[in-house]
Amino acid sequence: MDSPAAQVPVTLDPAWPYASAEGFYDEFLSAPSQLRPHWREFAAALAKMGHEELARRWQEGRRLIRENGVTYNVYGGTRSTDRPWPLDPMPLLMEPGEWNAIQAAVVQRASLLNAILADVYGPQKLLRDRRLPAELVLANPAFLRPCHNIAVPGGIYLHVYAADLARSPDGKWWVIADRAQSPSGAGYALENRIVINRVLPDVSARLHVHRVAGFFQTLRNSLLQLVPRHRENPRIVLLTPGPYSETYFEHAFLARYLGYSLVEGGDLTVRENRVFLKTLGGLLPVDVVVRRQDDSFCDPLELRGESMLGVPGLVQAARSGNVVIANALGSGLMETAASAAFLPLLCRHILGEELKMPTVATWWCGQDAPLGYVLTHLKNLVIKPAFPAPGQLPIFGERLSAKDREELMDRMRATPGRYVAQEQVSLSTVPVWEENRMMPRHAAMRVYAVAANGTYLVMPGGLARTSSSLDSMVVSVNRGGGSKDTWVLAEGPTSQLSLLRPSAAPVEINRATFDLPSRVADNLFWLGRYTERVEAAVRTARALLPRVFQESDGNRSAGSQAGVNILLALGHLEQEESDKGRKTLSLERELLSMIYDSEERGSLGWNLHQVRRVAWLLRDRISADAWRILNQLDEQFSQPAPSDALRVAAAQDLMNDAVITLSAFSGLVLECMTRGDGWRFLDLGRRLERAVQVTELLRHGLALQHGADSSVLEALLEICDSSLTYRSRYLTTLQTNLVLDLLLVDEANPRSLAFQFARLHEHVEQLPESQTHIRRPAEARVALSILTSVQLADVQELAVESPDGQLRSLDGMLTRLSGEMRQLSEALTRRYFNLALATRRLTTF
Amino acid sequence: MALRATHITTYMYSEASSLCQTEVHLKPRSHPRQALLDHELLISPLPEFTESRLDYFGNEVTSFSINESHETLTVTSRSLVKLTPAEPLDSGVSTDWEQVRGYVKLREMPDAFDASQFVFDSPLIQSSAEMADYALPSFPSGRPVLDGVHDLSRRIHRDFKYDQRATNVSTSVAEVLKERRGVCQDFAHLMIACMRSLGLPARYISGYLKSSETSVGAEASHAWVSAYCPIFGWWDFDPTNNARPSTDHVTIAWGRDYSDVTPVRGVSIGGGSQVISVSVEVVPNSGL
Repeated sequence: MDSPAAQVPVTLDPAWPYASAEGFYDEFLSAPSQLRPHWREFAAALAKMGHEELARRWQEGRRLIRENGVTYNVYGGTRSTDRPWPLDPMPLLMEPGEWNAIQAAVVQRASLLNAILADVYGPQKLLRDRRLPAELVLANPAFLRPCHNIAVPGGIYLHVYAADLARSPDGKWWVIADRAQSPSGAGYALENRIVINRVLPDVSARLHVHRVAGFFQTLRNSLLQLVPRHRENPRIVLLTPGPYSETYFEHAFLARYLGYSLVEGGDLTVRENRVFLKTLGGLLPVDVVVRRQDDSFCDPLELRGESMLGVPGLVQAARSGNVVIANALGSGLMETAASAAFLPLLCRHILGEELKMPTVATWWCGQDAPLGYVLTHLKNLVIKPAFPAPGQLPIFGERLSAKDREELMDRMRATPGRYVAQEQVSLSTVPVWEENRMMPRHAAMRVYAVAANGTYLVMPGGLARTSSSLDSMVVSVNRGGGSKDTWVLAEGPTSQLSLLRPSAAPVEINRATFDLPSRVADNLFWLGRYTERVEAAVRTARALLPRVFQESDGNRSAGSQAGVNILLALGHLEQEESDKGRKTLSLERELLSMIYDSEERGSLGWNLHQVRRVAWLLRDRISADAWRILNQLDEQFSQPAPSDALRVAAAQDLMNDAVITLSAFSGLVLECMTRGDGWRFLDLGRRLERAVQVTELLRHGLALQHGADSSVLEALLEICDSSLTYRSRYLTTLQTNLVLDLLLVDEANPRSLAFQFARLHEHVEQLPESQTHIRRPAEARVALSILTSVQLADVQELAVESPDGQLRSLDGMLTRLSGEMRQLSEALTRRYFNLALATRRLTTF
Repeated sequence: MALRATHITTYMYSEASSLCQTEVHLKPRSHPRQALLDHELLISPLPEFTESRLDYFGNEVTSFSINESHETLTVTSRSLVKLTPAEPLDSGVSTDWEQVRGYVKLREMPDAFDASQFVFDSPLIQSSAEMADYALPSFPSGRPVLDGVHDLSRRIHRDFKYDQRATNVSTSVAEVLKERRGVCQDFAHLMIACMRSLGLPARYISGYLKSSETSVGAEASHAWVSAYCPIFGWWDFDPTNNARPSTDHVTIAWGRDYSDVTPVRGVSIGGGSQVISVSVEVVPNSGL
């Protein structure tokens, strides 16, 4: 059904207007309304599809992006917002001949940079022979001396390399930057392809677009071949700086796609020069670390990064040849803008060929002649730090005032070696789909290469990024730019046979359940504990509010007194001595302030904050719905407190709403998790905390009361959400022994201690340590002991009052239980979480 | 002259540490005037793993890890070295300092390349116009380089006050220049910064000083500076004592600054707050 090429229109369809901008190369049009040949089929397909259909399809595409949770963390840090990944429905098309040239140039450049790294981290002959100025290496903070003379596996420093390319008005491609240490964006490129393939499947099939999956397959295979000692079934991890990093989505996405475990520095440890993953099941050896962390952050022991994010001893492990690190530590050196000035000569010297694609004109000011040129042409140049300096923005000479320019020139004369100047890049334009029409925007393309079989293989595609307006040459997603899928067109329908794809097999889906890192288990356990703690405080406050405020001061019932004791015991209220009158007044005030403005450690507000903090750390494991509920909870509690008159009623409403929100949150979190060790630790946390809360409640609210009357029992039942059960079971007045039976030993009541203990016991028996040892580990012994204690409890005996009205044996039992629960928590921590403790630097002297 | 050095570093943690990974620069390196006769490194608790290698600058560095729970970490280094007195320096015949600067910058000869490892900024030392201004009076045009360095060392000794409370490990050389006080490490860093600001290479030497009534800096590890002159090679200067190191100075290691040759550096897991104590004793070896 393909129409003959001759019938494809060569001019723009009037229904799809587009005007390129003066003075730039336009990727789409060769002259006004004249389509470039390789875009004609695409334009025809769009015209046939029509605006409405494209709009409908793109709505679907945007939904995919939202649902897949494709995000980019814009500002970094906890307060940052995850923005949906900006993708444009119109791909950037590359014709086969041109792509072949780009491909050859990127392969050459990756090989060249790899060879330079091998020399600089080895014999340094290029420096001795003055082919590369020594200063660019020896004065460069990106040159990591501890990595000198490390024999990297296969001689590969750059496993993945990326070049940022731009096209000048004359149609030539230029390299504008090298990405050498952990190039980002390949995952976004893949995600872009997945989305666009769903939006334009017919168009992409018709145009014979090269597939990009083979690139990732090659990456996997290449890394496997480098595994030390060719261990079978090697473990490969993807090291991320964590959920606060900008491209965390991509780290999680790639880890899942490639079948690697996503780990943070704290999840790894080095023992005897080997890298291990700390899991619940113990230390498991790691063979390959694919890192998305900057060089200097990778090893706080040897690389002196400011942060402790890395893995102490990683350099030593690499030195011993026990682990492959991709890219090799120290590769960031090749991101030094100033070295670009020397690449043409180095290319001739090292590879014996001309550099196939030029770098944007670069002058390193550390030499006299370039400095002179730069100082006289400052107006037309962009000034950058000579050495990689994250976060430092380029200075545009033309935008400086005369005074600022003078100051900059003084600084450059004083320390010329620290500056590099580049020609201002003029980026080509592409059509971007905005408000249902095509608009020209500037674009640059990031092209990826992966080391394979002694050379490099280029991803037939890449990440195209666009500027936010025609006036801006900045193509950064961080600063409002967009992205595009890049379609590399094959010569004909035989794309299956293309050499660009060494393997026709798509990357297999890996469903292996990863070994749960201790850090994650720890966080899940505490998420369980904190949510339950908040819920207990909310339920207690909810039961107390009417009791305190409806009764006259002097005649407070024992029930509210019991509640007060509990809140005091759990740290929600501050103890105040002095006379009774003042205490009452202060109690009312304190109860409200506990709800509205408590920040102290252990308070409701503090616990809420902890829920939020831990949930954030577990972002990749919590569903979007659960997140929404969490936000709702935050909103509920951050409402300003109403005026005094309405405060009590508002507080009551808030508590009611909070109970529902909390239940929804824990319900969703639990429902969304597969029943593995992760879920088990979350539930362990919940059960343990609920047991602790009920124990304290019974001890302070009942056992230590001097003569508990029915109002106390009523309050206890209400706080424990068990009033209904009691009423339906016993059509009688409240009796201590019956209440105890319900809250203590009845395993069928989901609020009873026995119920919590039974779950705890079940969970602990399923944990890795209990499964592998014949002898019960400490935590399993404690879990069994507390369960049997309540199972054997005699409620009649526990309900016997001593002469002062207290329930001594109940108190004794609860005290024992709470001690044992503490032991249980400590045993779990020691066994499973201790590995996740933070690393600290030793003071030096 | 033989010297026996005992260097004890103790870390006391407020809570137990479960894992400690450390690397130490504690083994004196041999050089033409110094022969290492004996060395032992005692670590308590006993590390599970110990390994030694040469670092980028050729110093021996030992790394070890302790995987058992511990509240105290003690590293004891005992060394016995034999020192030959330094030859008298006829600094007046050394090369003109501007020529040395040009020679190093040009890097035509292998020794110039090796020297240029020590001419650029390093993690703790940034050259600056202020440093150059302070250094220049010692380096009038045409002055032999080692004459100039000697004068610079003398001036630092004269202009700066030894004061253990004035600075800590994180004090920058710029602050030292401003405050005019510090300890041996500060003076060594300052002198290096001055020289590098003029384009002259300078090494940081970490070592010990024989205890005596007149010398300063013997109670802890000591630090001084080495300057380069073609043909002459590297020559040591101690700005803290305005002395030329000879048989009282034990060299442990050299690098660009303190951070390259930190005697004990490490990370621990857990441990709470730390208290560190360091003692150094250097005495003549009576047995030899």
